[in-house]
Amino acid sequence: MASETAFGRPDPDEPDLEEYRLRARQWLAANLQHREAGPAGVVRGGGTHSAEEYLPERALQRKIYEAGYAGINWPKEYGGQGLSDAHARAFAREAAPYRMPDLGHAGGTTYGPVSQTLLRHASPDFLARHVPRILAGEELFVQLFSEPDAGSDMAGITTRAVRDDEGSGWLITGSKVWTSGASYADYGLCLARTNWDAPKHRGLTWFAVPMRGKGMSIRPVREITGAAEFCQEFLDEVWVSDDEVIGEVDQGWTVAQTMLLVERGAGRDDPVNMPETDPAGIDPFLVDLVRAAGRAQDPVARQALARIHTADWARGQLGRRITGLLRTSDKPASGIASYWKLAAGVYNPQRARLMLEIGQGQPLVWRDDAGQRAALEYLNSRVWSIAGGSNEMQRNAISERVLGLPREPSFDRGRPFSEVQRSAREWLEKN
Amino acid sequence: MDPELSPDQRLLRETAERFIEASLPLAKLRELIEAGGEVDPAYRREAAEVGWFAFLAPESLGGGSVSDAGVLDTVVLAELRGRYLQPGSFIDTNLAVATLSREGSEEQQAKILPDLIAGEAAVAWAVADPSGDWSGPAGVHAQAVPGGYRLTGRKGLVVEAQSAQWLLLTANTPEGPTQFLLPVSTPGVGVEELRGLDLTRRLCEVHLDGAVVDGSAVLGRPGQAGAAVDAQIRLAAVLGAAESAGAMQYLFDLTLQYCKDRVAFGRPIGSFQAIKHQLADSSLALEMSHAVVTAAAQAVAAQDRGDQEAARAAHAASLANAFVSDAAIELAHNCWQHFGGISYTWEHDFHLYLRRLTVDAALYGSPTWHRERVCQLSGV
Ligand SMILES: Cc1cc2nc3c(=O)[nH]c(=O)nc-3n(C[C@H](O)[C@H](O)[C@H](O)COP(=O)(O)OP(=O)(O)OC[C@H]3O[C@@H](n4cnc5c(N)ncnc54)[C@H](O)[C@@H]3O)c2cc1C
Ligand SMILES: Cc1cc2nc3c(=O)[nH]c(=O)nc-3n(C[C@H](O)[C@H](O)[C@H](O)COP(=O)(O)OP(=O)(O)OC[C@H]3O[C@@H](n4cnc5c(N)ncnc54)[C@H](O)[C@@H]3O)c2cc1C
Repeated sequence: MASETAFGRPDPDEPDLEEYRLRARQWLAANLQHREAGPAGVVRGGGTHSAEEYLPERALQRKIYEAGYAGINWPKEYGGQGLSDAHARAFAREAAPYRMPDLGHAGGTTYGPVSQTLLRHASPDFLARHVPRILAGEELFVQLFSEPDAGSDMAGITTRAVRDDEGSGWLITGSKVWTSGASYADYGLCLARTNWDAPKHRGLTWFAVPMRGKGMSIRPVREITGAAEFCQEFLDEVWVSDDEVIGEVDQGWTVAQTMLLVERGAGRDDPVNMPETDPAGIDPFLVDLVRAAGRAQDPVARQALARIHTADWARGQLGRRITGLLRTSDKPASGIASYWKLAAGVYNPQRARLMLEIGQGQPLVWRDDAGQRAALEYLNSRVWSIAGGSNEMQRNAISERVLGLPREPSFDRGRPFSEVQRSAREWLEKN
Repeated sequence: MDPELSPDQRLLRETAERFIEASLPLAKLRELIEAGGEVDPAYRREAAEVGWFAFLAPESLGGGSVSDAGVLDTVVLAELRGRYLQPGSFIDTNLAVATLSREGSEEQQAKILPDLIAGEAAVAWAVADPSGDWSGPAGVHAQAVPGGYRLTGRKGLVVEAQSAQWLLLTANTPEGPTQFLLPVSTPGVGVEELRGLDLTRRLCEVHLDGAVVDGSAVLGRPGQAGAAVDAQIRLAAVLGAAESAGAMQYLFDLTLQYCKDRVAFGRPIGSFQAIKHQLADSSLALEMSHAVVTAAAQAVAAQDRGDQEAARAAHAASLANAFVSDAAIELAHNCWQHFGGISYTWEHDFHLYLRRLTVDAALYGSPTWHRERVCQLSGV
């Protein structure tokens, strides 16, 4: 079932891989800079970034692309290298000590769920136009899914797409929200309703919408951390050509399944994007925190520290088990991948709360970076409990798809969307 | 169960499961409990034929394993034993087999080890003191006397000591912790069988009232037992967690089926989101428990390769045990809730699992004890 999203060639012979690894190592050493110590990856709340700040990052992406190290396991015909997943992993390992392009949230979506979904569902013509530009850092894609009135219930969106008068494209009208990275992105992968009389899940279509197109306005939304890293968009008859439709018209729910699956962590190069955690390696940040708080000998703080480490390590091991289950289980990958997502959604908040417990006053008021980092981790701790499918959505997926429990009676499945809207209105009026 | 078991390990699992089903399924275990009886020694001898006590000894000493790592095979058995709530000394005897193989004298290896591997004799590991300190020598003092030692003190939470032939015991001496392997029948050794929460096994307190043993009872070098005890704790923590994971899986499957079958308000109760979500949480706890058991078993299997591997094994064993113990009780309580009134009956199997899992969580170190140990191992 893991093959639902994987697209690399089968693994090569070891000698080939070794040679590749060595070449990559040499190129990296000659061309890139070492990165500073500390965790890699994008942290929310790091600050609000302008489009200009990402120009050097885009240039760095282009450099890697031109050297043949972008899209290593992506198809050759679309600008990738057509090599195996093992090649991609080998490069990622070699590149770990180097400063790679930091394209923020839009980079995360573009090279993650968006491109995996495009590669599976977009037409060859679409892919030939967009994917090389994606790999070269010229096109960053964000996710235009959520709306003010539809989040978990993604199929409940009301942004509408109607045919234009010439019949060569579409006019899209509505509002999207919580779009991470929208302030500097080039395209949005946008879900819109194309048929209001079809059953709710059968009238949806995906479009690649230009973020700077006519009729699009983007308003930054300040987050819980104080930084504005997501945006709300208002679309007023934004024109999109027929060529920019992804998948079949009205069949967008099939495409959405891939997207949600990838968001849960299945089908990445490293299927769960989890480093193998070292049982002997308590997060040094926490050890510093407990010492700075003068609580290294306090049994309460020690217990809290060990609790965090236990859960961190257990989550790493869960990642390995999921990889095995995706290969061997007869249950759908969309259910199995939810374990990882639920673990993040449940344990991140626990971790952050224990961190406050350990640090006592420090994360509440601070003069140094450690206190601020702990506070930020606290504020960010529910991102994965909510974004990309809330804990409750993961629990539904596990209980229905893995455990085989019945669905609850539903008020919307299989009914025309216009009717679903009407009965929801009646419900609100009655209560 | 680990999705990556080898074909040989799968075969081992099938054979062992067939043995349990034929000799001591839950229904028979219940009869034993009702009668206040104990499992026949033949059970242990037959289990030994399936290899229950052989995997942690090398072939040269009459052991041997089905894969190249005896720990992983022993984990397969431990999960099954937990699944079917099997009584008797298993972990403790295996610890003794491993310790004898590593550092037993030639005489001990020749006299005692074959009996253990063949299931002719069983061992009770007397390591914790009655308050639950699992660090090794706590509770018992060994005083040098001409030709041997005099042992005084108490050990607690000793599993099935009432039917064991040997005690594996760690005591304090002025030179440091020393390990002894002595017959339970030694004068001055008393086994007090306590009544307890777990109905499937007996936990005992062992009294040492000046029991005198000669030098041949010392296992390993006097005063140098620290490393051996650490190795035993690692192994016991992993095998104990594996037993719990096996019991958790059975209880979870039983509960899941009940929630599919039980109808209330015109629907199976398993269709209510309140129940579905708790089952999903239990299922996550269960998957993570299996994952940490596998990881810790692999770490312990690799512990002899170097210092780094040894450190990883020690951490992983304690982390796995702490995680599984907490997860087991959480899962058992969720299941308890789903069963409703029927969970309160003696006849329903639920309480047997609740009792066993609760006691297993404290055996071989409570989660709190293991968490403190992790801090110490990490130099915090
Ligand atoms: C930091 C962050 C970044 C984001 N980035 C993006 C992005 O880039 N692009 C994008 O499109 N979206 C993005 N989102 C939006 C995100 O996907 C939604 O917030 C998420 O899907 C939940 O939708 P909602 O906020 O509308 O909450 P709702 O769907 O209204 O949910 C509210 C609560 O009700 C619960 N609930 C809803 N339905 C059920 C049910 N059937 N059963 C039980 N409980 C239920 C939910 O679990 C939740 O607890 C982002 C969100 C965050 C927090
Ligand atoms: C110690 C004890 C003493 C008792 N004494 C008496 C007595 O003297 N007289 C008497 O008449 N009864 C007595 N009872 C019975 C008691 O009232 C019932 O056990 C209780 O009402 C639950 O019913 P049930 O056991 O059939 O469980 P069920 O109703 O089958 O419930 C099983 C599980 O499903 C859950 N569930 C059921 N419906 C829903 C739903 N719609 N949404 C979400 N979850 C749901 C329940 O919360 C429970 O977790 C006693 C029970 C106990 C344990």
